[in-house]
Amino acid sequence: MQHILRLFILLVGLFAGTGSYAADAAPKLTTPDDLGPQIEQPIEFPHFRHAGDAKDGGMQINCMYCHTYARRSMVAGIPPVQKCIGCHQSIESVRDKPRIQKLFEYWDAKKPIPWKKVHDLPDFVRFNHERHIQRFYFQQDRPYQEVCGYCHGNVKAMTVAQRQKPLTMGWCASCHQKDHPVSANSTETGHGPNDCFTCHK
Amino acid sequence: MTENDFNRRDFLKVLGWGGTAVALSGCGNTSIQDGQETVTSYVTLPSYVIPSISNYFNSTCAQCEAGCNIMGRVREGRVLKAEGNPNSPINRGRMCGLGLSGVQAHYNPDRVRQPLLKGEAIAWDKALGVIADKLNGVKGAEVAFLTGNMSGHVQALLGNYMDELGSKNHFSYEAISPAVLRAANKKAYGVSMPRYRIDKARVVVSFGADFLGAWVSPVHFSQQYAQFRKGNRPEGRGVLVQIEPKMTLTGANADRWIAVRPGSEGVLALGIINALGKAGLAIPADIAAASKAYTTERVSSETDVSAEQIEKLAALLKERTPSLVLAGSAAEGYAHGSQNAAAIALLNRVLGNVGKTVEASASVPFPQIAPTVGNRASLVSLNDGLAAGKYKVVFSYGVNPVFSAPAALKFKDNYAKADFKVAFAQYLDETAQAADLVLPLDSAMEDWATVVPEYMVTPEGAGSAAYAQMSFRQPLMDKLYPDTRGIGDILLALLKQRKADKYKEFDDFYAYLRSAVLKNKVALGGKATDDDDAFWDETLSKGFLPMKGIAGTVSAKASASDLKLPSAAADRDYPLRLIPSISASMRDGRNANEPWLQESPDPLTTIVWDSWVEINPKTAAKLGIVEGDIVEVTSRSGTIRTQAYLFPGIHPDAVSVPVGYGHEAMGRYAKGVGANVFAMLDAVFDKETGELALNETGVKISKTGQRVLIVKEEGPVGGSQAGKKKIAVQVAADKVDLSKEV
Repeated sequence: MQHILRLFILLVGLFAGTGSYAADAAPKLTTPDDLGPQIEQPIEFPHFRHAGDAKDGGMQINCMYCHTYARRSMVAGIPPVQKCIGCHQSIESVRDKPRIQKLFEYWDAKKPIPWKKVHDLPDFVRFNHERHIQRFYFQQDRPYQEVCGYCHGNVKAMTVAQRQKPLTMGWCASCHQKDHPVSANSTETGHGPNDCFTCHK
Repeated sequence: MTENDFNRRDFLKVLGWGGTAVALSGCGNTSIQDGQETVTSYVTLPSYVIPSISNYFNSTCAQCEAGCNIMGRVREGRVLKAEGNPNSPINRGRMCGLGLSGVQAHYNPDRVRQPLLKGEAIAWDKALGVIADKLNGVKGAEVAFLTGNMSGHVQALLGNYMDELGSKNHFSYEAISPAVLRAANKKAYGVSMPRYRIDKARVVVSFGADFLGAWVSPVHFSQQYAQFRKGNRPEGRGVLVQIEPKMTLTGANADRWIAVRPGSEGVLALGIINALGKAGLAIPADIAAASKAYTTERVSSETDVSAEQIEKLAALLKERTPSLVLAGSAAEGYAHGSQNAAAIALLNRVLGNVGKTVEASASVPFPQIAPTVGNRASLVSLNDGLAAGKYKVVFSYGVNPVFSAPAALKFKDNYAKADFKVAFAQYLDETAQAADLVLPLDSAMEDWATVVPEYMVTPEGAGSAAYAQMSFRQPLMDKLYPDTRGIGDILLALLKQRKADKYKEFDDFYAYLRSAVLKNKVALGGKATDDDDAFWDETLSKGFLPMKGIAGTVSAKASASDLKLPSAAADRDYPLRLIPSISASMRDGRNANEPWLQESPDPLTTIVWDSWVEINPKTAAKLGIVEGDIVEVTSRSGTIRTQAYLFPGIHPDAVSVPVGYGHEAMGRYAKGVGANVFAMLDAVFDKETGELALNETGVKISKTGQRVLIVKEEGPVGGSQAGKKKIAVQVAADKVDLSKEV
């Protein structure tokens, strides 16, 4: 029995060792509150400043002004640096802020900004932004912040975006099983598709 | 027991518990990996790019000589797939497997990435400097340039370069080319490549022309064939008869496949003419005289085709007009190949098909960009020159003669005699390996070019014999490797070495091409008032331009006066005839390093990733060979070892080995796969054109005692499929009772 114990301790030590190594190397996969980890971005992008409500000092810019592909493509898209510059070259008041200086450094060097992925689905999942935006925003006429917020949470209150929904299969399916009105001016309802093939193809 | 008392069972026990613990702690975990990957945004983005949405750019396929127009599907700056350009008169939106695998030629990991001087990577400036050095003091007559088929503005540049060098030694070589057919057509119809209208014919009799697989312009012919087979067209459903010693893809589609004794195709053609005469068709006197001796009985015994079948064929051809008779590579590969083709062409004249289903084609109005078509005779003359030490500097582009020249020519040894050999290559193939300097080429997905296909089609509606076409090849994506260059750019750089002033206005080949096309805007279908930029952009978005060609005429002047068809003589030492078969995907082996092609099963045998020898089961029974036996196929010029495959679709006197396999270099997917049939061909040539007689090699087969399981898609012979005992369902033939007609 003693040697089993000895071996067990050895192995536990080994697991703990590799575990702590892994913790150093990368953020943990889950957090206790089901939120994603806080992720450090090359530039701390203030979502609350751009998209936030006016009363909180935000500019209430539509999400799709920057994530312009969400309505017509699988991916929402990260805006090209050009888009940031398009506005910021004429906003003198914040030009000296460290974030903006960093932005212009990238632009002057013609280098892309290496943003970290905050919402990352496994490769075997095919999620299509276009379908969801077309359905909820354009057909059902819901507010864009609510529509984007179904999966992305209250981004308009964040500095750097953090994952707020688990994005697990069960979580996706729970939403697809709900009755949704088919359009803004009808009482008819429908489910989201529930076939494996819809996402796993 | 070891000292610290860990034994295997305990270890596993602990590991088991530990594993469970890890698994439990993973509950509710997903594999979402936030923050582990970067998602890098563009700096600037062209307005037409939407991430995840594909754009299509028109270009031209480079996988064979047919010059099909393709669309490249491009997503986020990378080409993912080639598809057919639906507006193209050649392929009308369709593609073949060979064309689809073009993306693999582009992404291939074995591409040459830097200029290599004797295997050492060097810079481009230095490489071009070495060429200038070596050309210093060398006379023009001592420089040779070997290419495959060429056309368009690259050819124009090459012509200029050869002029600058003062050399007339541009050799154009294709390992597999319809050169005999061209010569025979020229004699019989007055044009070397008439337009064949399979879609207009009511019956097609093809002597070994694999027009659905690997002959001339297969995707185009497949479209015509689809029309030909429609039951509801005014002419009724067409009937296809294929006559050849080894079944091709076209043969497998035919209503009647007739196994003819190898080499006796011409005799059969004359026999059919004779039978047609007997059946009451008016035959011109000279032809009647020439075919008089070819009685049904004699032809039957010489060709192995039953007398009844010959008469049936004649009756079918007499009843159903217009018909079309094709002479393909199987009939041409003999010392009397031209005679065979001429005899077959006579049939078209007798049946009155010339002008109906054999139409005139147009010639290209600009001779410097008109296609140069390759043949073997050209290689032989280069080879003789090399052997005699005539050439000091040899360039090669788009060909691999060290691999594909018949062994008996000893091309490799002769090639080594040249002082300095430059190969423009995408892969380190056998020829590039034997060269002193290798210059890495762009892939066809990165390069600019214009292509003028040899086989000009008749576009729907245009109906004009004067139609010729110039296709554009444009880059579908940025270069994968910074140090590769297009052939046009290299030729331009070489020209600048000699005539800097004349070419200084062109920074690169693109500038040359654009200016050359815009200078001839009107001849290329534009108006003189068109804006240059608009015309150019529209041209590229269309992918091809119609050119007003010079209309030709066909004449039914095929004559029987000098026909000499020898009877086959039996060869005691090498009793079997070797038929090197040309598969739709492997062709002459230049695409062997594309794994999709190696992996796509041969349509008839379903064998993958290897070569094989097809033997008729009767012959195999005589020799005691069963499927999977490793056999030695020996000719006077060489021996190969490969696996035996018993195949009823081959004449008992013949065996067949596919060409294109057995590379000793070229890359990881080509090297060492299969056996090279070129390495055992006798150097027998067609008596009229000097073309290599591909089918003229006699072989014998011996067992080695080894046996393998052949890797193939089909089930065991005679076995059931998917456990079902009976799968063949009798379906009534639609509208036509073929058993009575063919």
